[in-house]
Amino acid sequence: MTKPRPIKISINALGGQGGGVLAGWIVKLAERSGYIAQSTSVPGVAQRTGATVYYIEVFPQGSTLAQKSVPVFALMPVPGDVDIVLALEIMEAGRAITRGFVTGETTLIASSHRVYAIAEKIHLGDGRQDAEDIIMVGQTVASRFILDDMEAAAASADAAISAVMFGALARSGALPFAKSAFEETIRHSERAVDSNLAGFEVGYANAPSDGAASTPPLSTAGAKKASASTAGSGLLQRMTREFPNSVQFTLTEGLKKLVDYQDVRYADLYLDRMACIRALDEKCDGLRRGWRLTCDVAKHLALWMAYEDTIRVADLKTRASRFERFRADVRAETGQIVHVSDYMHPRIEEICDLAPAWLGKKILSTPTLRKGFGVFFKKGRRIPSTKLHGFLLLSFLSGLKFVRRSSYRFKIEQARIDDWLMRIEMTARDDYALACEVAGLQRLIKGYGETHERGLANYIRLLALLDEANKMPAPPFRLTSQTLASLKSAAFADEDGVMLAAEIQKLRLSAKAA
Amino acid sequence: MAERSFAKEVEHLHIGSGEIFRGEGILAVTKALLQSGVSYVGGYQGAPISHLMDVLADAQGILSELSVHFEASASEAAAGAMLAASVNYPLRGAVTWKSTVGTNVASDALASVASSGVRGGALVIVGEDYGEGSSIMQERTHAFAMKSQMWLLDPRPNLTSIVDMVEKGFQLSEASNTPVMLELRIRACHVYGSLTAKDNVAPAFTLRDAMENPVRDYDRVVLPPSNFVHEIEKVKHRWPAAVEYIKSHHLNEFLGGVAGDVGVIVQGGLYNTLIRALELAGLSDCFGETRIPIYCLNVTYPLIEDEVKDFCLDKKAVLIIEEGQPDYIEQALNTILRNADIQAKVVGKHVLPRAGEYTGQVILEGLQKFFDAYAPSLVAVNSRGARLPLPPDGQKTIAEIVPQRPAGFCTGCPERPVFSAMKLLQKDIGKFHVSCDIGCHLFSILPPFDIGNTTMGYGLGWSGASAFNTAALKRTISIMGDGGFWHNGLTSGVGSAVFNRNDNVLIIIDNGYAAATGGQDILSSRAGHKTKHTNNPIAKAVRGIGVEWLKEVNTYDIGAMKKTLKDAMTTQKKGPKVIIAQSECMLNRQRREIPLRNKAIHNGKRVVRVRYGVDPDTCTGDHACIRLSGCPSLTLKDNPDPLREDPVAYVNNDCVGCGVCGENAHAAVLCPSFYRAELIYNPSVVDKVLASVRSAVIGFFQKRGEYARAKYTFGA
Repeated sequence: MTKPRPIKISINALGGQGGGVLAGWIVKLAERSGYIAQSTSVPGVAQRTGATVYYIEVFPQGSTLAQKSVPVFALMPVPGDVDIVLALEIMEAGRAITRGFVTGETTLIASSHRVYAIAEKIHLGDGRQDAEDIIMVGQTVASRFILDDMEAAAASADAAISAVMFGALARSGALPFAKSAFEETIRHSERAVDSNLAGFEVGYANAPSDGAASTPPLSTAGAKKASASTAGSGLLQRMTREFPNSVQFTLTEGLKKLVDYQDVRYADLYLDRMACIRALDEKCDGLRRGWRLTCDVAKHLALWMAYEDTIRVADLKTRASRFERFRADVRAETGQIVHVSDYMHPRIEEICDLAPAWLGKKILSTPTLRKGFGVFFKKGRRIPSTKLHGFLLLSFLSGLKFVRRSSYRFKIEQARIDDWLMRIEMTARDDYALACEVAGLQRLIKGYGETHERGLANYIRLLALLDEANKMPAPPFRLTSQTLASLKSAAFADEDGVMLAAEIQKLRLSAKAA
Repeated sequence: MAERSFAKEVEHLHIGSGEIFRGEGILAVTKALLQSGVSYVGGYQGAPISHLMDVLADAQGILSELSVHFEASASEAAAGAMLAASVNYPLRGAVTWKSTVGTNVASDALASVASSGVRGGALVIVGEDYGEGSSIMQERTHAFAMKSQMWLLDPRPNLTSIVDMVEKGFQLSEASNTPVMLELRIRACHVYGSLTAKDNVAPAFTLRDAMENPVRDYDRVVLPPSNFVHEIEKVKHRWPAAVEYIKSHHLNEFLGGVAGDVGVIVQGGLYNTLIRALELAGLSDCFGETRIPIYCLNVTYPLIEDEVKDFCLDKKAVLIIEEGQPDYIEQALNTILRNADIQAKVVGKHVLPRAGEYTGQVILEGLQKFFDAYAPSLVAVNSRGARLPLPPDGQKTIAEIVPQRPAGFCTGCPERPVFSAMKLLQKDIGKFHVSCDIGCHLFSILPPFDIGNTTMGYGLGWSGASAFNTAALKRTISIMGDGGFWHNGLTSGVGSAVFNRNDNVLIIIDNGYAAATGGQDILSSRAGHKTKHTNNPIAKAVRGIGVEWLKEVNTYDIGAMKKTLKDAMTTQKKGPKVIIAQSECMLNRQRREIPLRNKAIHNGKRVVRVRYGVDPDTCTGDHACIRLSGCPSLTLKDNPDPLREDPVAYVNNDCVGCGVCGENAHAAVLCPSFYRAELIYNPSVVDKVLASVRSAVIGFFQKRGEYARAKYTFGA
């Protein structure tokens, strides 16, 4: 005979997501339906953005099997003994699984959206964890797995995510209560009833009602077919004529970016440079290698040629498309007046970047001039981009595009690019994979001001290592593509270059030991 | 006003005999105090008993109806000393705090009141901050009960038992003239349940009666020779009296069955977890009906020798389930049985972990080991076992993906920019030693700031660096919150620094509340208060105690903050340097302002709402801005540029418009991607005219640009 047991529910949430409200609803729902309910939680510091668990047990009151009316409720979930897990974020579903809350008898209901943890966010490149494995394991382990982007659903209904989850719980049928009882509970709470009911409805509608686990939507980016206006069609024709199919998507994106950045002539220069790389790739058996080198260089060369400067920023900041986007981002109502001001901090360096090459060089290399002009660019400015004077200033700056070619920065960047391409060429002959990694080093150089300087310094540091490794006749160490790749990711590990220095040290020591 | 309002729940405290009371454990404790005829209540907030203080603060109405005085004590020491009122008079009083940290602070007063002894019932309600969710050192309150000889109650974690134990606690205290501690674990404080209420009772003898008819008894003062007499009284009279009361009122419970020659002795607070573990082992039903004999210690100190002997006499072995270390109860049980020459084996930390929280899983494993060794027949027949969780290999792979989520500053928190400024200063002048305190600001120790070397206790930030008071090329920085400042930091930190001619730097974070414990008001809170005297500026106290170098800075002005810090670190002027970093706690501010703003918008008033954003096409995905901020609303999204791999920064809709991200971009010369957006509600005529002129001119230029670009459209 099966003895009666309480239904055990765990809510896995982040501080501030409303897990407490959801727990309160479930308790009231159970009580309204003639159940005894207990809930517990561990607020405290977890309330401030940490991961937290709310735990509920419910039991039918006056159950005929009951010897005494009140069961002894536990205050915390026991691994392997939880009936329903409600995770308000996908990684928290993962945490519930690792804690053993999810078994073959558990209904797991989770929101698929991500709230990135601080460790993921502070990475210098891409530190995000992929939740796909969690979805996979969840589907294997749980008796039922209901997955929905409840944050998006909540936003669509202008409701709290807890309301959407409450709806999904109702639809799942994991609790023996009617939908109307759920709705009554929300009404009875007397707080934000309308929006919470709307959220509940969306959650209810999105969740599947029967035993089938819902299939998580996987995004697949469809390849876009390129088309062009007359002025651009020449470029497009040249690209299709001269380059293999597999690199055309990247090249198209590159061309698009560079025409937008400067002009058709500049994009043509891009193709000229790429033609050399393509020829090189062919010599290195590129066809068999899927044109990896061409593809890599196509991507990074486009990004490098479209380096960030004041002209580009001013250009992007003044576009109509940008005005539409920020209105959407700040959720402005239709017709609402929105003023935007941009945080800009051009330093003397950025100003000299724009100057004619001779002048920029002169100022930057003469300490007194640099300091003298520098005082005017010590403070950050807030440019009122939606007001006339701010907009016109930025508009003027974006117009400098037509003199960009003669600017100091342009000269420098083109020289750096040529040097980089030359190294790729030199490397490719001996070590194709290493050449691809050298191409990928461009990723280090990004951003503005100090960020750009830090990235560039790391790039130069790695190039110096490459030179060292090529020192004939006795190179002090060998640089493989794997080593360079791990050095690159070390450069992304921290701002102060601690990890990179350690990796370089390791490389030298291991070479000595060998 | 505290973070959570209990105004609605407090109404529930009025209910009378026979009615059903529903609520959190901590609310039930309040009800129990009122049912016990308490005269005064004091305490200091801190998880897990913050809500008790909040409930009491919100319950002023009902408290004054019953002529109960509620004191928001300056510290746990102050609260402990409050119990002195029960020494001479038949006044019942209760105080509460977070333990063991609060008990540490209160120890001086507690030892005194425990020595004097009490006439009126004195109850110390401690929230035992141990195990999951705890933020403090893992220790036991048990030691304090033993050293000062106060009785320690550890009730079963259901509302009825908790309330019953509060009421009995007062009686026990009076019967034995000894202060009593009631220990509630984290989850028991927050457990929601129900109980049958009794009527509230107004104290028969009031504080006013005492003040108007003072009684003095030299025997009760802790001074020779009374202090020596007290010690003898403790063992000769108070202890036996307590044992007698506990026995005759059955505070401890003999539960379960009588089967076999094994039994379990359990701390009352762990009883529910034990029953669940027994249930999973197939040895109990969910109502606690079990054949296993259980001796449930609702009083964990003192142990009742006769009860222990009776329980163990016919047993081969008993399992003692005692959470934390040292194993005080296990040792005491062994002593009792050894002295009585009873041969039952005491099994405790041999089968259960010596340290750490006793979860259901832990107790289940301990039970299995115990029964395997001493009653294998019991387990073999009945075990249904827990449903097996995920096989370990699957768990392991996911465990590598699931990120840690350390606590951090809230969205828009005014303390964040202080640490952004410190991080920027470190880039200029190198690393320095940082002594931290207790409070939200302690999150600076965690990523992304990673600032702070030690934290020695509430209000002890500057004392924690007091050894570094010597000539050096670099100064130290200490942190203190306004809560810690008023708790004791004014004297232990600032006063001491003045007196000892300290040459280092202190930052006092003045956000207007004891924010970390739930936003309670303090001396320097800006808001007016019906029953408390607020608006006492920190600066006045700091100057008053003798600090000459004092700067007040708005925390959100990162440039100014950094400059002030740099001045303090490099000035030639000797002596203590104090920076008061001011801005209101954002949680509290939002709670205050949002309803007002919504009302104004609703009433057609012109309102400007500010929030921030990032342009994804100028952001290159380095995330330096996040490393300087860690704001929850500053997050990531996919890079819209198909050529770029690194996700861009993104300000989500939780943004409250504090502006720290933009200020950081300026102060650190980061990038031009941040923008500040002002959304105008109910615009004026001037707004509308200007907007139409602007959009006409800007629109013209934008169309011209679009036209030029259209000539070169490229791609899809």
